[in-house]
Amino acid sequence: MKILIADDSRVMRQIVSRTLRQAGFEGHDLIEAADGRQAYDKAMEENPDLIISDWNMPEMTGVEVLRKLRANGNNVKFGFVTSECTKEMQEQAEEAGADFFIIKPFTPERFAEVFTPIIG
Amino acid sequence: MSLQYIPTAADLNTIAEQVWSSYLDPEGINPFLPEENVAVDSEIHASVSITGSWHGHVVFASSMAAAKRAAAAFLAMNEDEVSEDDVIDVMGELANIVGGNVKSMLPSGCFVSLPHVVSAPANANHWPAAEKICELTGTWMGEPIAISMWQSESESEGEATQ
Repeated sequence: MKILIADDSRVMRQIVSRTLRQAGFEGHDLIEAADGRQAYDKAMEENPDLIISDWNMPEMTGVEVLRKLRANGNNVKFGFVTSECTKEMQEQAEEAGADFFIIKPFTPERFAEVFTPIIG
Repeated sequence: MSLQYIPTAADLNTIAEQVWSSYLDPEGINPFLPEENVAVDSEIHASVSITGSWHGHVVFASSMAAAKRAAAAFLAMNEDEVSEDDVIDVMGELANIVGGNVKSMLPSGCFVSLPHVVSAPANANHWPAAEKICELTGTWMGEPIAISMWQSESESEGEATQ
């Protein structure tokens, strides 16, 4: 499976990658994006199977990326890993078509719970 | 304006516990130890600004030794392999995580900025027209750490409850 990790923090991209491994999801093709624009472009160019995105990023926010993908008919599995979790954000994510919402700090157990139905 | 709940030092401690158990001390061997009135001779400061229904800043400050240790823990590296960029990135992420969680406790309609990191003593940091409204201090393996909230003065005149 090809997984796109979008986060402007290099550290957080590494932690998401490591936590995926710790949760038992090894051997996948991991690609990265350092801002929202890159995330959108890579989503369109590289056709990942899953996008794990930060919410607050330069250029485009994560939810803007998701809305633009859906508006262009792209139905890739897409969800958020973010330290911000308000009811309004969760509602915006759901309305935009998000598949999951993970709050930082997170654990491998939380990743396993969310991604097992998606990655298998 | 209606009364708002503003997070307290106890809330900051709850967030800190989650950060330590997830990233900095997942095995529970070296927890953050809250301690009142610790003299925090901080050498690096990471902050995010919050605007909207509440205006202010959330600041994560520590000694450089604690920051390097945090970077090593975050990145699963030895402390002597950690670069200055690693330290800055990790401190920024710590401020982002704490600030994001603080935002979740505030009234709706707040926005969190991208993090800003300064490698300088506390007296080199300045948040104009803001006052410190709460602070969590303590130590991590003997090194000082402080997490504080600074509220813009226009917001601090009798509008908030704690």
